[in-house]
Amino acid sequence: MKIKVDGKNVETNGKETILDVCNKLNIEIPTLCFHKNLFPEARCRVCLVEMDGKLVTSCSTKPRNGAKIITNNEHVLKARKRNLELMQPETLVCSKEDDNEICQIYKQVGMDDSRFDQIKEYHPELGDAIVRDENKCINCGRCVQVCGEIQNVYAIGFQGRAHNEHVAPFGNKKLSEVACIKCGQCIINCPVGAISERSHIKETEVALNDPKKHVVVQTAPAIRSSVGELFGMSAGSLVTGKMVAALRRCGFDKVFDVNLGADITIMEESSEFLRRVKEGGTLPMITTCCPGWILYMEHFHHELVPNMSTCKSPHEMLGMLTKTYYAKEAGINPKDIVVVSIMPCTAKKFESQRPEMKSGVDYVLTTRELGRLIKRKNIDFVSLQDEKFDEPLGISTGAGTIFGASGGVMEAALRTAYELATGKVVEKLEFDQIRGDKGIKEGSININGTEIKFAVASGGKNMEKLIKNKEKYHFIEMMACPGGCVNGGGQPIYSDPETVQQRMEALYEDDKNKPLRKSHENPIVQKLYKEFLGNPNSKKSHKLLHTYYTLRDRFEAKELKK
Amino acid sequence: MQINKKTNLKAWKRAQEIGPNKILKILDKKGLVGRGGAAFPTARKWGFAKDAKADRKFVICNADEGEPGTFKDKSIFQNNGETIVEGILIAAYTVGAKRCFVYLRGEYEYLRKKFEKQIKDVLKKAKTDITIEVVRGAGAYVCGEETAIIQSIMGYRGQSQYKPPYPPVEGLWGKPTVVNNVETLTCAAQALIFDDWDPNLRLFSVSGNVTKPGVYELPLGVSMKKLVEIVQPKNKLKAMSFGCFGGIMPIDYDMIINNETICKEDCSHGAYTIILIDEKQNIVDICLSIARFYTYESCGKCTPCREGTIRLLNLLKKVKKGQATKKDLKIMDEFARHIQETSLCGLGQTAGNHIITALEHFPKDFEVFRHEN
Amino acid sequence: MITREYEETKHILLNILKETQDKHGYLSEKVMKEISVKYKVPLARLYGIATFYMMLKTKQQGKYVIEICSSPSCVLNDSNTIENTLRKELGIDTGETTKNKKFTLIKTSCIGCCNEAPAMLVNGKPYTKLTSEKIKNTIKKLKNAN
Repeated sequence: MKIKVDGKNVETNGKETILDVCNKLNIEIPTLCFHKNLFPEARCRVCLVEMDGKLVTSCSTKPRNGAKIITNNEHVLKARKRNLELMQPETLVCSKEDDNEICQIYKQVGMDDSRFDQIKEYHPELGDAIVRDENKCINCGRCVQVCGEIQNVYAIGFQGRAHNEHVAPFGNKKLSEVACIKCGQCIINCPVGAISERSHIKETEVALNDPKKHVVVQTAPAIRSSVGELFGMSAGSLVTGKMVAALRRCGFDKVFDVNLGADITIMEESSEFLRRVKEGGTLPMITTCCPGWILYMEHFHHELVPNMSTCKSPHEMLGMLTKTYYAKEAGINPKDIVVVSIMPCTAKKFESQRPEMKSGVDYVLTTRELGRLIKRKNIDFVSLQDEKFDEPLGISTGAGTIFGASGGVMEAALRTAYELATGKVVEKLEFDQIRGDKGIKEGSININGTEIKFAVASGGKNMEKLIKNKEKYHFIEMMACPGGCVNGGGQPIYSDPETVQQRMEALYEDDKNKPLRKSHENPIVQKLYKEFLGNPNSKKSHKLLHTYYTLRDRFEAKELKK
Repeated sequence: MQINKKTNLKAWKRAQEIGPNKILKILDKKGLVGRGGAAFPTARKWGFAKDAKADRKFVICNADEGEPGTFKDKSIFQNNGETIVEGILIAAYTVGAKRCFVYLRGEYEYLRKKFEKQIKDVLKKAKTDITIEVVRGAGAYVCGEETAIIQSIMGYRGQSQYKPPYPPVEGLWGKPTVVNNVETLTCAAQALIFDDWDPNLRLFSVSGNVTKPGVYELPLGVSMKKLVEIVQPKNKLKAMSFGCFGGIMPIDYDMIINNETICKEDCSHGAYTIILIDEKQNIVDICLSIARFYTYESCGKCTPCREGTIRLLNLLKKVKKGQATKKDLKIMDEFARHIQETSLCGLGQTAGNHIITALEHFPKDFEVFRHEN
Repeated sequence: MITREYEETKHILLNILKETQDKHGYLSEKVMKEISVKYKVPLARLYGIATFYMMLKTKQQGKYVIEICSSPSCVLNDSNTIENTLRKELGIDTGETTKNKKFTLIKTSCIGCCNEAPAMLVNGKPYTKLTSEKIKNTIKKLKNAN
């Protein structure tokens, strides 16, 4: 059908919304509640355009045949501004450090002030991993949709009616009191920063400023392909060297690589898996490096405890080795060592405070917090020269790097499991069946005559689907965040939907270019087992690198039993 | 009154004899339009649902009468409940629905027991496998809007959805759904068998400062003068309102009441609710009552209505306290119009009407409080 | 455009919540959790429903819930005086419950008794053509009732 947009003649197939048409024409329309992966609810009323004289929301309206659409006259601009005035009186969201979507829109429309006073009086809510300030909320509903329809957790929902409508868990409880897997997907979908992570920058700075403390920082695989975005670099820029250099300038005494922790996790987990296959242990075995998945299991699927691997997550394993092996080698009292993990993840903040993990990692900072720390120290990130991780805990393989992508853990584990079990070199290192952006991926590989079937799922709804079909498989990888850690709750907030794919591809590219691509070939890994741990799953390994789980209530954050 | 004529299952029998296509033809010829406020031709709405291809179809009887000043559907429940049931059956038969709902507002809970018995009796006599369930409303005016009713029945918060998609094509659980007002369904049954059925007779709910408030069946085209003579106000009248959404206008005895005159541009003409206001009242008090109503009943989904209605109420409270400046009145007018233009559903789209009309026609009523201080 | 899919259910959640409230007086956390498990409805959504509809209560109410209409037709017939009388007779403000948990007083929107204004509902039963005298008598009767 033929329509007119801002005076220009345009053809459309009748199935596109006005927003789709304008995006194709590169006409910018401000949106807040609209999200490409979610059902458009047309709540915020900021994406207004004029169609045949009437104001309509472009995200949800398909144009009529012969419609005349205007996106930028005074009528439209004034209406958008009035809705912004109504939703955020006293425009209090945009501080210097904030870069939320709504701040961009305020700049776009030239927003100066609201004629109304703030009438909301909610108490800002602190939490162990996630904090909320309902006074900033504009009721866009993205967090509710993501937590429910995509993550299948439904920890929060709209409560109340009319001007009392607000987003909260059931019974207006605090988020930390209810069953929440702390995946942080709500945070990266909030356009106004009403939800954010509990910050541990202060605690980190106290440690950095304490001359008695030896502060070790370790970085997750996903950070190296995403932290650059916080400094204006394009998505998927591999900035490993700059990241290490920046961390040194921040004052950390040693910079270690969680990729090495990932390699160790592979050694432990592959051995555990092969043993279960050989001895008839509980199958399928499910990976446990994702604390969001662990909380999901602890709250909603108690029956899966026997299926879970007992391995800790990579950063916790490395944290323990830092405070034991490294402390001994370097001659430092472990009580003086502070381990800080940089993670794309908010759930790991909760994980590091679990009683069984307290002796490992001390604080977790998200990628966003790292960005803030670097900016506060006035470090010019982009112009830094590449530096290398510290020894001994800084050498890693490509298998460790790909942990950040959904399917990466499985791929790394299979590379090692195959070679350990068969004694042969694996034919192809890249397992394409479990790469890519599908929610559930599967494949199989023949190990010593058995067709080992594996599957990976990311995102709550997909994890739930895979649980229903789990009996088909021997080995399952579960990631709470859709796409894996590259799309974690602690990652830089993005609007371009291609971003996650680009971050993933940078990690696979890094793997391809590494000289070592299999965890068991890592010389540090071999050294650690020879000199310190013995064999994978040895008594010492079990003491330091394995863990147990705690059953939790399906509705509340209560513990039931360990 | 025509509305109280009982059809005694004769309409259901006739419907089955003549078939859906003929039913639509008759209702179209008789000129039956919706009586919930939008006046959409009933046969056309049923036709959309009938022609839509789906394995399940539904009929919802909208008994969520909640517009302040409206109480005509209540009288139909009290006097002619069986005919309502028959109307529902005829609608279901015409469009091909097997499962029907009556969304009865929570404030009419005391009518439910009797009505459920009437449903049981009529279904037994009609010998049909069509089912009718009563859904108990729980205090939400917005659930009178058809997409909100559908959300409510499906087990969600009763918040309106944007249209298209329209319910006759994609409604309850995504299937073709006909949502009709109680009066419409009653008339559908009556129009099918009474040759002298008059589409111009409408139920007027008249209340306010009058000595004989009540439901009156009158022909369209009746003059306001005649209506006032019937309801006999005690004092001289000052203003008239056709429901909260219709705004408040100076009393006009010469006005001929019909679809065109009672309608404001393209907003609905409502269900012929008339509230009469006498000289002793201050319009600001009426506006406060209406603003409180909208602030309470807004579903909260879209920004302009959720935030705008409470702002209008606060500004009106300022007026009553005598603290409102000329700038405040301008902001009230500006945002009342803004809420009309940008809200998602009919509630928001009419939530500012009372302020716009009151400011235009009764500015002195606003000034009074300023001078008192 | 992303679409939303719904699956038809035999049960009607709103009716279940109302029936449960009829039985227990209000919707306690215990009973909400049972409904959540039985009908596979997430608890946050269930509470979202309970807090949306004004007649669903998640806190215990008084034995007699009095809902006084505050819409235009009743206001035009002096419902404000009736409301003040109720406040005085019960000794509480609108929106509150008496200390002995006997009465709850709420303002509500039009209850459809405009031709018999001013009107109120007491536990869902309409009391119409109210006067201060009628209010005083009704409250007295309810106070003495068992």
